[in-house]
Amino acid sequence: MTSPATASARSTTPRPPEPSKTKETLVWIGLLVLFGGAVVLSNARWSEISGIFTDGWRYLQLMAEGLFQNPFSEPYSEYWTLAFDRMLESVYMAWVGTLLGAVLSIPMGFLAARNVSGPVTVQVTRIVLNAIRAVPELVFAIILMLPIFGFGPVAGAIALGVGAIGTLGKLTAEALEGIDPGPVEAAKASGAGRFSILRWAYWSQVLPEVIAFWLYRFEINIRASAVLGVIGAGGIGSLLGQLFSRREWEQIGITLVVIIVVTILVDSISGGIRHHIISGSGQKVTTEEKVEATL
Amino acid sequence: MTVTSTTSPHGASAPVRPKKPAPSPLLIGGLVLAAIFTWWAAREIEFTLGDLFTNFANGWVVIQQFLEPNWSFIWRVWDAWVETISISIVATCVGVLAGLVFAFMASRVTNRSGWLYRATKIFLSIVRSLPDIAYVLIFVALVGVGALAGILALIIFNIGIAAKLTAETIDAVEAGPIEAADAAGASTVGRSRWAVMPQILPNYLSYCLYIFELNIRSSVVIGIAGGGGIGQVLGVQFARFQYENVAAITVALFVVVLLIDQLSQFLRRRVV
Repeated sequence: MTSPATASARSTTPRPPEPSKTKETLVWIGLLVLFGGAVVLSNARWSEISGIFTDGWRYLQLMAEGLFQNPFSEPYSEYWTLAFDRMLESVYMAWVGTLLGAVLSIPMGFLAARNVSGPVTVQVTRIVLNAIRAVPELVFAIILMLPIFGFGPVAGAIALGVGAIGTLGKLTAEALEGIDPGPVEAAKASGAGRFSILRWAYWSQVLPEVIAFWLYRFEINIRASAVLGVIGAGGIGSLLGQLFSRREWEQIGITLVVIIVVTILVDSISGGIRHHIISGSGQKVTTEEKVEATL
Repeated sequence: MTVTSTTSPHGASAPVRPKKPAPSPLLIGGLVLAAIFTWWAAREIEFTLGDLFTNFANGWVVIQQFLEPNWSFIWRVWDAWVETISISIVATCVGVLAGLVFAFMASRVTNRSGWLYRATKIFLSIVRSLPDIAYVLIFVALVGVGALAGILALIIFNIGIAAKLTAETIDAVEAGPIEAADAAGASTVGRSRWAVMPQILPNYLSYCLYIFELNIRSSVVIGIAGGGGIGQVLGVQFARFQYENVAAITVALFVVVLLIDQLSQFLRRRVV
């Protein structure tokens, strides 16, 4: 009777006690209280949520009607070309803005890298970059657009460009700080000048990563340009704003489809180039994840 | 001549400098294309920096107003601040929970059904391709101007981001625990919950905090389109040309974003 019991006790170690769950429970309770408080304090009229099911279905039908009309008949052909033209305008705005921000972010990146510039310069540049990052593009647009450039895509492009300096400068600086010091020493040992070192030892090493950042920013700026359009910077955002205020659901459906198709197309081209550049440079793909988390 | 010099002992000690590799045609083609596209884009939107110099005085007037913010205005719109934070909390909570489910459906590791995986991927890339402002406009049309439209728009937006980031993390989990769960005959939900979830939890929590930050940042956009919160106040003041109030809110928003960044960095260090 006793011998099999001891044998089984020897072969199976006793199950360790479960760790305490008090902390976990407290965190859950805290989150629930936070969520409940937020639901009440948000002043949302929760009863209106039924509108999604009543109006939503009707609007969806109207949008589908617009989509399934013959796209070559009037006025639908006009809707398609207008949406497409405005979407291209947004893409152009995003491209020019990103390029502008990219060019301006290069010197900022060098000034903010600890292994390139002095500590004072680094601190000052970082503060400037952080300030730019914290101000939404919309505010740049408000300051720049109305008074200086007037309504239109130029103001939008410049607002996107200024906004891009913050993140691109920060990422460039971080990439510069992460380089392999070997080539820098080699260049110094062979008597290279300061500019040559920066150009051939620093810049060459970070170029693939930095270009990937630029392209990623371009993808983000296409979406951001829509926001600027709503307050008058042209492009697809302006069209969307007008259509929604007039509730032209047939045309809205067409416009949304154009946005989706063009965005996915541009994203996949740009994403393909990014993957090609990063994998060709022999760097780890983790940079990709880093970018997505920072931008 | 060259043959003799390379074979001589003198030539061996100082080897000939290798030829510079020719730039790849792909690179040249790409650069030319990019340059043409830039030129075309700039022409299409009539890009010019000339206005910066001719109209700078106009801008300076506005900037001067910006430099004298009306600080008391920040406290007068206290309710709008609470509303913005509440909108972000509700939208983040709901969005990341739904996003988690979609993330499990959008990874080959956890989704064993081929067609459902592909359908989820397509659905998510459509969700992500629309800008946040489009969602706000849609929901304002459906449920009217106010915080509810903002919350619903942000939820959809958050699902897209949370699902993408988490699905990529799921793709990279270690296979060991999953094999163990499979060997023990775990169900699809069971293996996701007990073999995958513990592995991705730290990253997932960090994405949740990131999404919360993002929502606070986008409160301006949400509000201007009619989604409630501080952005709506900003939109009204902007339309009335009250730049001193706009400036005060901008500065305060800057501080709020900074504080929330710090808070979430502190929390992230504790969970990751």
